[in-house]
Amino acid sequence: MTERNEPGAKDQPGTKNELSAKRGDGYRISRRDLLVASSAAALAACAPAATPAASAAPYRAAATAAVATTAATAAPTAAPAAPLKIGQLLPFTKVYAELGASMKRATDLYLKQKGNRLAGRPVTVVYEDEANDPQVGLQKTQKFIDQDKVDIMLGVVATPIAYAIRNVVHSSKMVWIETNAGGNALTRATPDCKPACKSPYIFRSSFSSYQISAPIGEYFGKKGVKEAYLFISDYGFGTESAADFTTGFTKQGGKVTGTLKAPLGNNDFLPFVTQLKAQPTKEIYSFFSGADAIGYIKAWNQLGMPAAGYHMNGAGFLTEQDVLKEVKDLAVGATTSLFWAVTLDNAENKAFVDAYQKEYNLLPDVFAVQAWDGMQAVDLALQATKGDTADRAKLVAALEGVKFKSPRGDFEFDKDTHNVIQDIYIREVKIQNGQAVNVILDRTARVTDPGK
Amino acid sequence: MRRAAVALAAALGAAILVAFPFWSREWESSRYATTVLRDILVFAILALSLDLLIGYTGLPSLGHAAFFGAGAYAAAIAGQRLGTDGLLVTLPVAVLVAGLLAAIIGTLAVRASGIFFLMLTLALAQMVFSFAFQATELTGGSNGFAGVGRPTLGGLSFADGDALFALVATAFLLVLLLVRRVASSSYGHVLVGVRENERRMRALGYDTRAIKLSVFVLAGAIAGLAGALSAYSLRFVSPNDASLGTSITAFVMVLIGGAGSLAGPAVGAVVVIFIERVLNSSIAFSQTVLGLLFIAFVLAARQGVAGLARDLWLRVRA
Amino acid sequence: MGPELFLQQALNGLSFGALLFVLAAGLSLIFGMMDVVNLAHGAFYMLGAYLGLSVVRATGSFWLALIVAPLALGALGLVLEPLLLRRLRGRHLDQVLITIGVALVITDLVRLTPGWGAEVRSLAAPAPLAGSIAIAGSVYPVYRLFVIGFGIVLAAAMALGHRRTRAGALIRAGVGDAEMLSALGVDTDRLFAVTFALGSALAGLAGVVAAPVFGLQPGMDVDALILSLIVVVVGGLGTLSGAMVGSALVGPADNFGKVLVPQFALFLIFAIMALVLLFRPTGLLGRTRGGR
Repeated sequence: MTERNEPGAKDQPGTKNELSAKRGDGYRISRRDLLVASSAAALAACAPAATPAASAAPYRAAATAAVATTAATAAPTAAPAAPLKIGQLLPFTKVYAELGASMKRATDLYLKQKGNRLAGRPVTVVYEDEANDPQVGLQKTQKFIDQDKVDIMLGVVATPIAYAIRNVVHSSKMVWIETNAGGNALTRATPDCKPACKSPYIFRSSFSSYQISAPIGEYFGKKGVKEAYLFISDYGFGTESAADFTTGFTKQGGKVTGTLKAPLGNNDFLPFVTQLKAQPTKEIYSFFSGADAIGYIKAWNQLGMPAAGYHMNGAGFLTEQDVLKEVKDLAVGATTSLFWAVTLDNAENKAFVDAYQKEYNLLPDVFAVQAWDGMQAVDLALQATKGDTADRAKLVAALEGVKFKSPRGDFEFDKDTHNVIQDIYIREVKIQNGQAVNVILDRTARVTDPGK
Repeated sequence: MRRAAVALAAALGAAILVAFPFWSREWESSRYATTVLRDILVFAILALSLDLLIGYTGLPSLGHAAFFGAGAYAAAIAGQRLGTDGLLVTLPVAVLVAGLLAAIIGTLAVRASGIFFLMLTLALAQMVFSFAFQATELTGGSNGFAGVGRPTLGGLSFADGDALFALVATAFLLVLLLVRRVASSSYGHVLVGVRENERRMRALGYDTRAIKLSVFVLAGAIAGLAGALSAYSLRFVSPNDASLGTSITAFVMVLIGGAGSLAGPAVGAVVVIFIERVLNSSIAFSQTVLGLLFIAFVLAARQGVAGLARDLWLRVRA
Repeated sequence: MGPELFLQQALNGLSFGALLFVLAAGLSLIFGMMDVVNLAHGAFYMLGAYLGLSVVRATGSFWLALIVAPLALGALGLVLEPLLLRRLRGRHLDQVLITIGVALVITDLVRLTPGWGAEVRSLAAPAPLAGSIAIAGSVYPVYRLFVIGFGIVLAAAMALGHRRTRAGALIRAGVGDAEMLSALGVDTDRLFAVTFALGSALAGLAGVVAAPVFGLQPGMDVDALILSLIVVVVGGLGTLSGAMVGSALVGPADNFGKVLVPQFALFLIFAIMALVLLFRPTGLLGRTRGGR
């Protein structure tokens, strides 16, 4: 197939083609000149080295009115405190964008409640988009370190990105509270540090795959379930969850009868659920989240699995609020394990859920909790160091000593691995006040990640 | 006389580029600027290699990231399996593996042309991507391959960011020289001949299929080089590096910058990376900006930015 | 795999194939017939789905969405073709770049639109089609049977329109030799614009029909585009029945592949595409467009 008008040396600028013949050369030049001039101007105006953190940025929380008022009523003895810069690396585009939006909402709400000040220092948050790409994540992390010079870093949703930036964060001694990615290796003493390993500067306020998968395995074993079948999303997270569930389950005498895997981002779950229905084991443990979980639950119902006696179980993301708001009562009866549920009955959670709902007219999800707790940990650690973030060792020690009541219950970091120590709940989906929510059935207290 | 002046200017420009991290040290965010420029140079090498296919030979490949990824993984895996960070070990391995993969894929791909070639390279590259994603034992799977070492050369280590930048910049300049040599050589003219009228070239006795395969392998090998540099720079390889997204990124860099020109791919790399990754820190709609840029360029500027610049220069001179 | 299970999976493959046909029909028209590489096809599909979502939210009517989305996308196509694509006839590289640009703009705007945004959403099947009925020893969702029927009707309508109407004849002629047709007094510009609009409308329609199955999320445009490309390439360029054959092949192949050889499922689909491109580049049913 020959291309008639191809790019390359063939088209000499002097050639009169149809377009210029019709409209004259003058017209042609001016359009091109305009393009060149404007692109050159745009490029010149935004050179990375020259631009400090611009206040026109979309994701950044500029100093709010609250800061102005607190400044006006500042305590007479307080010298103006150095502004605190927090870097948040979250997804705002691509498949996990919803999680990033949720975590930003929680972060903004927390800061709003604190008058945009932590330990007396006015806060600026620099949000950057990880775009589900480790290359981009690395570049933005470098930006946090070199250009924004943030005092502390939070975020990262996708595990590959967390693994990719681990070494850069560690070698630059940037304190990073990881607020979602659950890859086990990030807080373990992995041989050769591949794909990642723990670091004194890295803390995790979310969970490790192990924490949300092994306890439910043990729960089923203890409850007397003899066999379970695994159906997971075929990527790092799914595989890890399946392995950890199996560990917990077999420890209590259970047996896994088989595994079925669906590709990540699978579009049609009917063929898989058809396979599930053709095998005899009724208890099925799964790992799916987001759109995959929605597709799976819909297919599960469409093929009449509940009526045929099958029971859906999984790691908590299978039935988190982002999924439940779409599938509603289709997920009723599913049993999952997670460190939080919107119905969790404690004072902090009630206050959190109420405040979030009032501010955003939405129920919070677990990602919001993870971000919220990350901010709370920063807040308390800074209070312990009296606002000092320059002494990284002191900040690390302060974070290690942080202990508070979070919406999820008692929160503290494991001194050895820096992973969060938390209670794990076994939950079941029920309808309450017309909404599908997770109701707590059981609890395993203070689950720690094994660390290796 | 003019020739000598141009050569001197080029040498000066090259020195300025390679020494960028040193003379920019006083800038407020010099390290960050260095890493951005480094990433741009890596993509510029990738785009240059793709330009050999698209611009010179008229083979529109939408699967070039397969070789970029292959090179990256090969460098990383070789470093791990052979227990060495030696540049003279991992880099040749990367180039060889990528070139070999290009030979295999190329043998199949060059049977097609035009839009069919486009689709075929896309399909074959997706197969490579799915392999990278699934072969967890070898590549780390979806979690990626971490802990890639910075290369060493004799006693010299490129662990330092500035030294690594110098390595990447030097590689870019060498590739630029190579492509220039190829373009101005008789081989390069044969490539253009194949692009212009393959039938006539065959009638003249050229084995166009072999020619197309040879440039495909050359382009693949250079892409593998870029991949290895990416692995060294980021110290991480992920299936993203072999994904359709990366192939499309390289593709649009070539077209935007100006296919068939020497400066074009590098310019395209600057523009695309700048808008996609630097501008998006300041505005929420950088992707829209990029899309509008593509549309505007196709409508107004047939040869991309480099072509525009060349036209301007020629008009100014005339 | 016992006979009953095989039948069930075959039914799954069929319904997935029907969905693929609806998805690919628009691209088959634009790429297969008009020879325009429309990489914005996935973005049109995505836009159609979100428009459908809004219509359902506002009026509660899925059927209304089935009308509004294709109309809106058709209008968009009618505007875009003369504006952007008219001067690019035959210039495939430029078409690739410009349609990528259009896709980037559309998907970014969808993300930034309040109410749509970047959240993962789903659309429920309309009430009469929402349940499951007993089939082949199990239960099967009615909506998927509807999609099979819809696909067949759509294919028949397109084939009829193509073979039996004057418009269809004009399109066939225009693709074969546009210059000649224009010399005969036919406004080829308008013809191509209308064809492109029709293809865009089909993409928008597919967005609504597929939404109850595939859902709505960032990245759905790329997935849809790739699937459509595979179907059109495998089935055949230059003919409408090609898309039917392509989807009838790719649907079950993908289904059985995912279940029987999950590690190779993705690999398998692209291998099929590659094989077809190698040995029958115009597709299984395709024929070369005159002169090219």
